Amino acid sequence: MRMKRHSGGGEEGGEAGIDLAPMLDFVMNLLIFFIITAVFVKEVGFSLSRPAASAQSTPQDKKNESKTLYIVLHNGGEVSIDKRPIDVRAVRANVERFKAENPEGPVIVVASSKSATGTLVQVMDQVRLGGVFNVSIASTGG
Amino acid sequence: MRRKSHREDDGHAEIDLAPMLDFIMNLLIFFIITTSFVKQTGVKVTQQEAYTAEYKENGNILIAIRPNGDIWMDRRRVTLPEVRATIERMHAERPEDAVIITADKMAENGVLVKVMDQVRAGGIESVSLATQPQAGG
Repeated sequence: MRMKRHSGGGEEGGEAGIDLAPMLDFVMNLLIFFIITAVFVKEVGFSLSRPAASAQSTPQDKKNESKTLYIVLHNGGEVSIDKRPIDVRAVRANVERFKAENPEGPVIVVASSKSATGTLVQVMDQVRLGGVFNVSIASTGG
Repeated sequence: MRRKSHREDDGHAEIDLAPMLDFIMNLLIFFIITTSFVKQTGVKVTQQEAYTAEYKENGNILIAIRPNGDIWMDRRRVTLPEVRATIERMHAERPEDAVIITADKMAENGVLVKVMDQVRAGGIESVSLATQPQAGG
């Protein structure tokens, strides 16, 4: 039996063997697919930055520079600007007004260490909606 | 025809595709496994939604902060000093990688800022905070 089978496919080779080429094509396609999708895992989010050294300069120096808007996040999730408590959704209006006065002015979110990250994201979102993308984060009460 | 019956198993004029197939199969498995070059954190957190979120390039190192303050990276729980050491190692391996912090929306900002400072101390300046893209935003 064995000899009979092998005797048939002698000339062109591989009448009895499995043709690997289509499988090879398929595997090659899979390979290319995985190489391409390897970089597609992406997250969305904000860039976080810490206040620059100039923002922590003395009040005398600050007169020459553009003003900075400080938004304070308290422990319970309250937001205040200039010691005036405001709603999270009102941050945007305040930032827009600030931007009209100081187009280059940076915004610093001063977050209390016990405040929630969700509030921080909401505030940063509002600031960015207000048109200021130069946002940095400071922490108090560490 | 019978004369050729004692020929060995392999074909003569044909290229044997099997070793190439093995090699490609190995490559395939390698890529399937290493698809997670992204350093997953291993925990799931609930992120705050935001309108102005943008896609982050090279955000391959993920750090999760859970509501109770636990920090997870590379599928294990780490302490604050370990964050810096791990970041330094990863930064040495792939210097172009950026860090994305996926903080739970109930997590404390104090932990977030501490983690941020550890990452920057570890040598990576590009830090982002992951958010949930707003539906229809």
